[in-house]
Amino acid sequence: MTDRRDFDDGAPGPDGLEAFFAAARGDAAQPDGALLSRIEADALAALPRPARTKRRGAGWRALVQGLGGWPAVAGLAAATCAGLWLGVSPPAALDAVWPSDPALTSVDPLGGYDLAMLGG
Amino acid sequence: MPLDAMSDHDDEDLLARYARGDAEAARALTLRLTPRVLAHAVRLLGDRAEAEDVTQEALLRLWRMAPDWRRGEARVSTWLYRVTANLCTDRLRRRRGSALDDLPEIADGAEPVEARMQRGARAEALQAALMQLPERQRQAVVLRHIEGLGNPEIARIMDIGPRAVESLTARGKRALEAILLDRRAELGLSDDG
Repeated sequence: MTDRRDFDDGAPGPDGLEAFFAAARGDAAQPDGALLSRIEADALAALPRPARTKRRGAGWRALVQGLGGWPAVAGLAAATCAGLWLGVSPPAALDAVWPSDPALTSVDPLGGYDLAMLGG
Repeated sequence: MPLDAMSDHDDEDLLARYARGDAEAARALTLRLTPRVLAHAVRLLGDRAEAEDVTQEALLRLWRMAPDWRRGEARVSTWLYRVTANLCTDRLRRRRGSALDDLPEIADGAEPVEARMQRGARAEALQAALMQLPERQRQAVVLRHIEGLGNPEIARIMDIGPRAVESLTARGKRALEAILLDRRAELGLSDDG
């Protein structure tokens, strides 16, 4: 601050006023907590909603949720693999209980009866 | 530099973030802009309570227009000074008629300087003197000499030409000198040290 020099120069002038302006700059009104809270509340109340963007993988997430979540999906996958494995390579221990008649263990997609019917 | 959590971002950046729904930007803008607007409103109105209402209203307008803000067209501070000044003008018009009764009291009594900090006394004296100026002169002087803005920006805020700004500030300062220099002895300015 150069107040003494400014105000000792006698005549009115910009230097003299500048001391007043400097005092005003240093004495600016400060907001209190209540005002800041009101204004922040206004700002948050008027906060624009973020634009909704389609997220990648949203369809998969919906499917997983529909099946009961990730644990249910994991169980389903394990059961599917086990069934497939038993079908492709059945363990020898099952031979005793597994019927030996090929007609019962194989599928004939076009049987003799069907051919007869097609032939008229 | 503003002491908020997003001091790396300028006002326009923060306003753009606010418009995208960023609550942190809302808080940062509140902390950054409220002191500026309040200080300006107090200087134009000379009344703290009214200035707080104006501050809240000016910022509410900013929040509402944020999604439509066109980047690069104007500075946020310029826009806010303008809105604040318009709101103050509305209030001053409503006040008119009982103006002298409503002016802030100049510190009176025998010992104003002893009772207050020197800076506070000068600021108060200046505020009282500012309130005696015509409204446009007051606005121009405050923007130029207290807020520290350049004439081109003041011209945009006040919607006048730069030469008119110069004229208003020059007349305002002459009037302030006439008012304040009568109070030098009262404020103990010549004995300052």
